[in-house]
Amino acid sequence: MSVRSAVLSQFKQVAQEQNKKLAPLSDDLPLSESGLDSLCFAIIVTRLEDALGVDPFTSTEQTEFPVTLADFIRFYEDAAK
Amino acid sequence: MRNVLVTGGSRGLGLGIVRRLAAAGYRAIAVARKESDPLRSALQEAERDHPGSLRFVAFDLAEIDAIPRLVRALRKEFGPIYGLVNNAAVGFDGILALMPTSQIEQLVRVNTLSPIVLTKHVVRSMMADGGGRIVNVASVVGFTGYSGLSVYAATKASIIGFTRSLAREVGRMGVNVNSVAPGFVDTDMTRGLKAEQRQQIERRSALQRLPGIDDVACAVEFLLGDGAKSITGTVLTVDAGNTA
Ligand SMILES: NC(=O)c1ccc[n+]([C@@H]2O[C@H](COP(=O)([O-])OP(=O)(O)OC[C@H]3O[C@@H](n4cnc5c(N)ncnc54)[C@H](OP(=O)(O)O)[C@@H]3O)[C@@H](O)[C@H]2O)c1
Repeated sequence: MSVRSAVLSQFKQVAQEQNKKLAPLSDDLPLSESGLDSLCFAIIVTRLEDALGVDPFTSTEQTEFPVTLADFIRFYEDAAK
Repeated sequence: MRNVLVTGGSRGLGLGIVRRLAAAGYRAIAVARKESDPLRSALQEAERDHPGSLRFVAFDLAEIDAIPRLVRALRKEFGPIYGLVNNAAVGFDGILALMPTSQIEQLVRVNTLSPIVLTKHVVRSMMADGGGRIVNVASVVGFTGYSGLSVYAATKASIIGFTRSLAREVGRMGVNVNSVAPGFVDTDMTRGLKAEQRQQIERRSALQRLPGIDDVACAVEFLLGDGAKSITGTVLTVDAGNTA
């Protein structure tokens, strides 16, 4: 599974589990308008760590959180390299 | 078997906690720097009576940067973590005016920073797995005064504040977070206490004695159990009435 599809499927799954209304997933979607809250992101990051073996927000000195969906995917693509 | 991670599970209160949990049907995973002799006997006993119920993992919790790797390795080896008992701590005493800064740092690192970072990584996986229990071992010294323990007391008070706010943050995700605040108990940590100090604490306690290791272990077991499913964000004091 590509990094992109792993990320997108987690967004959908967690939104469903947490009863959140997910905005249409376009690259320029700001994460703050995705319909997911920070706890949802914590779950997504944990599950992606299990699936992809990386956590770009802990393994590096990373302090900023990505703004858009495309940024979020790029963080993972870079970390998985 | 539900996995419960117990830091400082090699001696003192932590050893009492892992023994009790292993006998109660959990898989207790004791984390400490060294496997002590009493832990070795407990491991043999557990293997005989309840196979798989007690494991030891050597790790120095002062190594903050290695904590994410520890949690990943534990989940890989044992599966989902149901419970976390943040019990490991150091108890240096000394008057503040003379305490070396390195010792102050070590107290804050092992007693406050390390459990917070460990909890960060474990609670994430609990949320992803749909729930869990966290029990933080504080101390009555976190809310009463004891000369010579100001830095230790600061770390223990921090654990209580951490417990309350984290309980609010993760409650929605099915994770309960509580503290246990023991009074003085006879362990390696309190070996430096003089006989007359010990007697004074006994005299000032409602029950005229000190609590035992197993009293604290029972409180932890209760907070991990189904009977405590509606309890979160609280402090359970186990001090034989010393602060009543
Ligand atoms: N005893 C009391 O009267 C009392 C009263 C109130 C609260 N408490 C609290 O109860 C908890 C347990 O205390 P205790 O009396 O059982 O202490 P203890 O007998 O000194 O045991 C401390 C445990 O923590 C472990 N530990 C210490 N530093 C560590 C590190 N850097 N990495 C990994 N493990 C480490 C030790 O194992 P290694 O040395 O092998 O690493 C040991 O298993 C502490 O949180 C303490 O503050 C105790």
